[in-house]
Amino acid sequence: MHAFIRLVARDVRLTLREGGAVSTALGFYLVVVAILPLGLGPDLNLLSRIAPGVLWVALLLAALLSVERIFHNDLEDGTLEVIALGPLPLELVAAAKALAHWISIGLPLVIAAPILALLLNLPANAFWILLLTMVTGTPAISFLGSVGAALTLGLRRGGLLLALLVLPLYVPVLVFGISAMNAVITGPASFLSSYLILCALTLATVVLAPIAAAAALRLSLA
Amino acid sequence: MTRKQRRSVLIATCVAVLGVAVGLVLFALEDSIVFFYSPSDIAEKNIKPGQRIRIGGLVEEGSVKRGDGTQVQFAVTDTAKTLPVTYIGVLPDLFREGQGVVAEGKLGGDGIFVAESVLAKHDENYMPPEVAEALRKQGVWQGAGQAAKAN
Amino acid sequence: MADTPGFFGRLANPTFFLKLSGAVLPWLTGLTVILMLVGLYLVFFFAPPDYQQGETVKIMFIHAPSAWLAMMGYSIVTIASIGSLIWRHPMADVAAKAALPIGACFTLLALITGSLWGKPMWGTYWVWDARLTSVLILFFLYLGLMALWQAIEEPSRAGRAAAILAIVGSVNLPIIKFSVDWWHTLHQPASLTRLDAPAIHPSILIPLLVMMVAFTALFFVLHLTAMRTEVLRRRVQALRLTQVDAARAGEGARA
Repeated sequence: MHAFIRLVARDVRLTLREGGAVSTALGFYLVVVAILPLGLGPDLNLLSRIAPGVLWVALLLAALLSVERIFHNDLEDGTLEVIALGPLPLELVAAAKALAHWISIGLPLVIAAPILALLLNLPANAFWILLLTMVTGTPAISFLGSVGAALTLGLRRGGLLLALLVLPLYVPVLVFGISAMNAVITGPASFLSSYLILCALTLATVVLAPIAAAAALRLSLA
Repeated sequence: MTRKQRRSVLIATCVAVLGVAVGLVLFALEDSIVFFYSPSDIAEKNIKPGQRIRIGGLVEEGSVKRGDGTQVQFAVTDTAKTLPVTYIGVLPDLFREGQGVVAEGKLGGDGIFVAESVLAKHDENYMPPEVAEALRKQGVWQGAGQAAKAN
Repeated sequence: MADTPGFFGRLANPTFFLKLSGAVLPWLTGLTVILMLVGLYLVFFFAPPDYQQGETVKIMFIHAPSAWLAMMGYSIVTIASIGSLIWRHPMADVAAKAALPIGACFTLLALITGSLWGKPMWGTYWVWDARLTSVLILFFLYLGLMALWQAIEEPSRAGRAAAILAIVGSVNLPIIKFSVDWWHTLHQPASLTRLDAPAIHPSILIPLLVMMVAFTALFFVLHLTAMRTEVLRRRVQALRLTQVDAARAGEGARA
């Protein structure tokens, strides 16, 4: 367990010290959310109706920007092979790195979401729900992303391919995250059932994705 | 803990978490993503006027009244509850009394649903017209669509 | 497997596969042509118009078999992926790769015929209900798998990577199948796989079943042909590589 926590801490520290990844993701999130109202016109009612969807989709794209880096840098400088030789099973290595991505990129994006929600006139009763659904759903984004990152590791144009591979897999998280929010804002669907399915999706992803990611990593390390 | 023990603890945790996930889905699957609500749902859930929703059900026999131009009035029923609907626009070919229909729009303050779009929903039964006629005569089969059964 | 290879063990030998598939293909092709002709005849001259939909119901005879093949194609990819990951069966790789473009085409065909059917019947080409959305995701999965095969040059690594992704994506299959039962969708529920009273009158059911079988046979003709092409393509590549090696060795000897 010690090695796992140390690996998470190392990856989080590396990403934060580098700085570039976090600020790029946040900047991208802001720009996408700011550009959409300009394209759709300033109708505040329309904006507040589509706010949950816009906030979720933009967050997904922003998080996807940095998913490629989960394993990339460590493969380049050979660290990944050293870690793979260590005591930690590769599945846990993959899980640790995905968790570190969530802490260093996913959480800052979630914290930024309510501020951006102001730009979209999100109804006041939805802010806590926005935070709750995003905190619940974003681990699935990082963990599914780690599978894509492991599959496309070391490929040319890997980033674009990664987006093509994992975006379809994100659809359930997106659908249930947004429908949980809409249930609170407009009703009449039940918030609880959408939210519980979102929880289930995240739990299943957190358990299964590292297994797939580790299998994919073995291909690049072999 | 030995390496082997740690491994089994890890696997057991994974299986337990997956079990919880499956349990949550089974518990929540009831009414999470519905493409439309039935008139009974609307009555139960206390929907506020002005809220954008989709309703679905069967077009009640004998309820279709055509007004000026393309204005139409009809009632949507799920055999338990009935909801009056008004719509201005072109109806799909399959829109018929007794057939399934899905309408998107808002509930007015007077309890009448103002539809902005109307889609026809057909059931999974396929048969030649003569057979349908014969079945109807025998009273074996009412031509009721899926929408009523789904509720 | 080392001492007495079973059928699947012997199939691992590409030469045996080429011989077997070469013998089966002409018969299967002939069967497909006959079934297609009989099916199309039944569809256009035997099947009556539907009591509600009229002649538009004819689209079903293309739509339903295509949708079935879209699902069957991905099931084959998934099974082959498991075979290539666990047993390292060399032909499983080839089978998974060859099924991708065929499955993608039938998925697209199901989506297109579905919209053409939806416009007159439902009143719209497309709605975002659970069935339509999950089939669209299936199409994206096919595209992603094909892109992954293309992006990785070495076939054995590409095959294993695609196999991992294919297995992850296979969660979508039950979602597609049961979406019409779990949620209220605009799409109607299954007509064929019902246990109670038949939902389709025999005069429409029989042509539909013939078309289903004909499309399935067509899929296997295309799949076997694509697998043979893939085996031969790999052989040509191996030959070229040995030629290059030989040429290099010759240059080295002269220098």
